Amino acid sequence: MTMSKILFSTLAVSALALAAPATAKIATGSNVSDMTVTDSNGVQHNLSDFAGKKVVLEWTNEGCPYVKKHYTTNNMQKTQAMATAEGAVWLSVISSAPGKQGYKSGDEANAWKTDQGAASTAIVLDPDGDMGKAFAAKTTPHMYIIDESQTLVYQGAIDDNRSASPATVEGAKNYVVAAMDDLKAGNAVAVSDTPPYGCSVKYKS
Amino acid sequence: MRAFFLSLLAWCLAAPALASQSLPVDTGKVTASLVSSHDSVAPGQSFHVALRTELDDLWHTYWRNPGDSGEPVQINWQLPQGVTAGAINWPLPRTIPTGPIVNYGFEGAPLFPVKFTVDPSVESGSVITIVSEFYYLVCKDVCIPEQGSVSLPIAIGESVEDIGWKTEIDAALAATPKRGDIQGAIQKSGTALEMSFTDLPSGDFSKAYFFPYEQGILGHSEPQLITRGSDGLKLTTTPDYIWDNDVPDMFEGVLTYIEGGQLKGTEVALAVGQSLDIGAAALPKASAGGVTLWTAIIGALIGGLILNLMPCVFPVISIKALSIAKSAHGERSKIKREAWLYTAGVIATFMLLTLFILGLKAGGAEIGWGFQLQSPKVVAALAVLLFVIGLNLLGAFEFGSSLQNTGAELTQKSGAAGSFFTGALAVIVATPCTAPLMAGAVGYALAAPAFVTLVVFLALAIGFALPFLLIAYVPGLLSKLPKPGPWMVRFKEVLAFPMFAAAIWLVWVLSLQAGEDGVLIALSAMLAVGLAVWCFKSKTLISKVIGAAAVLAAIVFPLTVTTSGASSEIISTKVNAESWSPSRVAELQAEGRSIFVDFTAAWCVTCKVNEKLVLNQAETQKLFTETNTAFLIADWTNKDDVIAAELAKYGRAGVPLYLVYSNNSVSPAILPQVLTYDVIKDAIAGE
Repeated sequence: MTMSKILFSTLAVSALALAAPATAKIATGSNVSDMTVTDSNGVQHNLSDFAGKKVVLEWTNEGCPYVKKHYTTNNMQKTQAMATAEGAVWLSVISSAPGKQGYKSGDEANAWKTDQGAASTAIVLDPDGDMGKAFAAKTTPHMYIIDESQTLVYQGAIDDNRSASPATVEGAKNYVVAAMDDLKAGNAVAVSDTPPYGCSVKYKS
Repeated sequence: MRAFFLSLLAWCLAAPALASQSLPVDTGKVTASLVSSHDSVAPGQSFHVALRTELDDLWHTYWRNPGDSGEPVQINWQLPQGVTAGAINWPLPRTIPTGPIVNYGFEGAPLFPVKFTVDPSVESGSVITIVSEFYYLVCKDVCIPEQGSVSLPIAIGESVEDIGWKTEIDAALAATPKRGDIQGAIQKSGTALEMSFTDLPSGDFSKAYFFPYEQGILGHSEPQLITRGSDGLKLTTTPDYIWDNDVPDMFEGVLTYIEGGQLKGTEVALAVGQSLDIGAAALPKASAGGVTLWTAIIGALIGGLILNLMPCVFPVISIKALSIAKSAHGERSKIKREAWLYTAGVIATFMLLTLFILGLKAGGAEIGWGFQLQSPKVVAALAVLLFVIGLNLLGAFEFGSSLQNTGAELTQKSGAAGSFFTGALAVIVATPCTAPLMAGAVGYALAAPAFVTLVVFLALAIGFALPFLLIAYVPGLLSKLPKPGPWMVRFKEVLAFPMFAAAIWLVWVLSLQAGEDGVLIALSAMLAVGLAVWCFKSKTLISKVIGAAAVLAAIVFPLTVTTSGASSEIISTKVNAESWSPSRVAELQAEGRSIFVDFTAAWCVTCKVNEKLVLNQAETQKLFTETNTAFLIADWTNKDDVIAAELAKYGRAGVPLYLVYSNNSVSPAILPQVLTYDVIKDAIAGE
């Protein structure tokens, strides 16, 4: 498969319309829609296609120790399975630029997904970093949850133990699971904004 | 790796039985070891052990707050009985940008000293072993978590320092940020986060940066914009998510700056709440920025010169000039004497006013130039004085010798006192007309130390008196003046009318300051003047007594005028204008609106001209409506400390001041004092 390319019809995350720098953080509670991305199979998705469903975004980088922590312990896969079983769309996003750690072609991304037993819906390839910068993704992992009305309801870390040690997964509070539980119970997300932790996203510039 | 071998070599060479450095451990990109300030310590003693990390070139580890990504260096101590460890003394962090991400961390060979205390119960002659299990994330373009364990045996007995390591550890401890005198406050203001600092130590703060201990306070990758004030520093950046939740009373962190060519940091506690007063701002670029003593002096000289052309001053001095020409034709020495007397009058009056201002300032009052006109008593007195001068110009009366010292003697006499007091009078009537050129200089002068204030005002006085000195000293200039003749009487009478007009204007100002009562009193004082003029025409004793009583009334009446409670009416004359306050500015900024702030006063001529010619024009009003720009008026007609403080922030001591906050910038643009439509339009567009 040829190199997939991310296409942004409109980079219109509504909250970004006024903000000057492209890296500015999107406020939790903002509407996020109308962003077209391309997955590892070359299929284009527009975030607005997923209206009515929850969408989980996970920034990832295979080589990052913090990503490894959550994949070797199966924590990320379990979280993915839980979310998709509830009907959520899970997009793992790779914003590593070509030549930088974690960059993958479509085929490589698919192989990695199979290898890890990932339960994500799709892997989005963002080698230009446009999607990453639109969301101000800083780290791998960096998690975002968008609700059925396309509102950003969670952004931040996957859990509250900021270590790279796999031993720390056990006993940590998983913020994504907690947020999904809150939404399922019909409540507002209690912890909606946390500092992400991990390796920096390996942007082109 | 290379660092590891060097360390190992050093260790082998130094290795006595008990070294004050542990065997180094190579964890991959970092070589770690423990170093001690003491080879052996006494029971009950405190000493320092540091984790020493040598990083490979271009790799970095992270501070206690790692910034956008990363993880702090972590140390776990395994300690024997009777030994306690303190917290890590963190080295000064640096900002490490990678693309759009900014981290806080270290490169090179950072040292992490920790204070240890040996209990007195620990036996002399024993050996204790300090074990450090450490972990750090080390990153270049990729990140690697590394960990290891190093141990260091320390003999208990006599206290023996290790000179080499103690020096290095002491240097690291000295560089560790400590709590200083710096006061700090932090405030979310709209979409901006303002951190203000006062009581700063001496140093270069042009690249100051605040490193918060916690995450979520500010955007680590957002720039921290620096505003320097005379008393402090403000950093403006972007707030992070903590501000959406329950905010604690205080945030801590490290403010870094340059001192003696070295990066230095001081721990600061930022109280959450109102920003601190950082004093008069160093003016932002493009305005009257970079006013130095010399530019202030030159500005004051030119400004003083221009003051001569002001409508209320021109009649006074032009008549004086002609009278000099008439009375002293051919007698240059006499002209010179008159010119110097006039100059002396001008300088003395300026200096008196300046000393008065300095006195009030020393007493803590927030005042600026033009403050005299904030007092309705002064305005009323000036109105009456101008009326008297007008009557005199019309020839309604002539000052008798007994009244000569009132200083309003303009044409008939050219005695020493006359020239001196003409100078004084000219200054007094000139004060409402602070010329635009002078604003920067006067603002600078009033914010500067007393001596500088005096020097600048002296320059202003000399500039003001300069035309007369030129007439006296430049040969040929005198002959250029029109030949005296009967036309001068006519000319003098014509000049009475600007005086009356100025009096009417002051009565209008008074109506805004003191309401109907103020107007009534001022006009009654003028009636008394008329009565006095009429009475003195008669030579009878009774009329002289009544005349004197009327003069007394004309003098006393203005002193009874008081400020009325009602706020100024200026605002009602404009559409959609609101009253200015700092909190209103913050609210409007939060709404993302552009803001135009008009610092004005009823007695400010330049302000009135700008309003008439620019601000109240349909075109300008349309611009404000179309760009959804809020129009705020800060009315300084009466004394107002909040407005005076805001003026001082921009290095001004008087009005007008025009600020535009465009919706994409935090700090306002300062507009020139003479407005044009294009200037306003560009400022709102943020250009």
